Amino acid sequence: MEIADTYYSKDEYVETASGNKVSRHTVLCGSQNIVLNGKVIVQSGAIIRGDLANVRTGRYCVISKNSVIRPPYKQFSKGIAFFPMHIGDHVFIGEGAVVSAAIIGSFVYIGKNAIIGRRCTLKDCCVIEDGAVLPPETTVSSYMRYTAKGTIEGGQGNPYFVPAAMHDEMVNYTKSFYEHFVRTPAPAS
Amino acid sequence: MPTENNIKIFPKSVVCEESTLRGDITFSAGCVVHPSATVIAEAGPIIFGENCIVEEYATIAHRLSDGASWDANNILSIGSHNVFEVGCTVEAARIGDKNVFESKCFVGKGVTVSSGCVIGAGIRMHTAQVLPENTIVYGQQALQREAIEKQGSQTLQIDFLRKVLPNYHHLRKPNYDPKKARSVV
Repeated sequence: MEIADTYYSKDEYVETASGNKVSRHTVLCGSQNIVLNGKVIVQSGAIIRGDLANVRTGRYCVISKNSVIRPPYKQFSKGIAFFPMHIGDHVFIGEGAVVSAAIIGSFVYIGKNAIIGRRCTLKDCCVIEDGAVLPPETTVSSYMRYTAKGTIEGGQGNPYFVPAAMHDEMVNYTKSFYEHFVRTPAPAS
Repeated sequence: MPTENNIKIFPKSVVCEESTLRGDITFSAGCVVHPSATVIAEAGPIIFGENCIVEEYATIAHRLSDGASWDANNILSIGSHNVFEVGCTVEAARIGDKNVFESKCFVGKGVTVSSGCVIGAGIRMHTAQVLPENTIVYGQQALQREAIEKQGSQTLQIDFLRKVLPNYHHLRKPNYDPKKARSVV
């Protein structure tokens, strides 16, 4: 299935040499600690808290509107520490999601308004439904679906919850999302 | 609502400049306000107690009821050591000490929050009610129970944030010193 083109105006987005498209209406705190590995889309209103710890994303990630990427913290007997956050390739983060995971694998789909608690681990090819709430320190393993009801379903070889071709589907989806995220053509004059 | 914002920041608080603050707001010593937080004092002044944390996209509003207008005596007082996590919306009538409002929760106008309460992530509370001390609101059905053990304190996190945030953000300057104010009187 083809994705319809999404247009953005030239003034709103900055395109870097490695192909990242970053909206000007984002709050990227501590930008020296944020690494976007190329062809990443960061839409308007997104917040990435690089000031708390390093944030690294792989290629072809989509960080949608008003989502918050916030490195997790852990409290020790003396003081707290924020941990760096790693996001794999081809990860889609839906609108308004709050992500405080420690590690996110590749080919992960996070739905709209999902809340990923502190220090969660999301393995490759898992799906978080829209509006799901993950308690802190949850692990979602590969090919599992975390539902909005709060259950973890599926598993490898069980295509009813996560498609068996999740890997390819996420590659196609994020790539075509990137390719169809295009600048509004200049008016013909 | 008075046209001019009147924001008092006590020394030792860290208030980021990118936050939205409207109306008459007082931050006591040690508060931390992250960027893109919103505090709106529409019906009357808001006073934060010591060591509160307000995270990104959190909205704390003191809203006008129908037909009412700004009343300087209608104070929304927020106790000390409260944490407002990412994306929560709090319009509660009164807030005590040591409460945690988790991500994306909504607390409506008629709710009175006492002390030591935790409102779980994503929970929406609209009906007028009084939460007794140490109540935990949790789960899909927003069940309530009393906390078995006390909440850990957030002072360590505040200490960390107070060290780190000034390195990366423009801050609003503390503009109110209780010691000096006393000497003037």
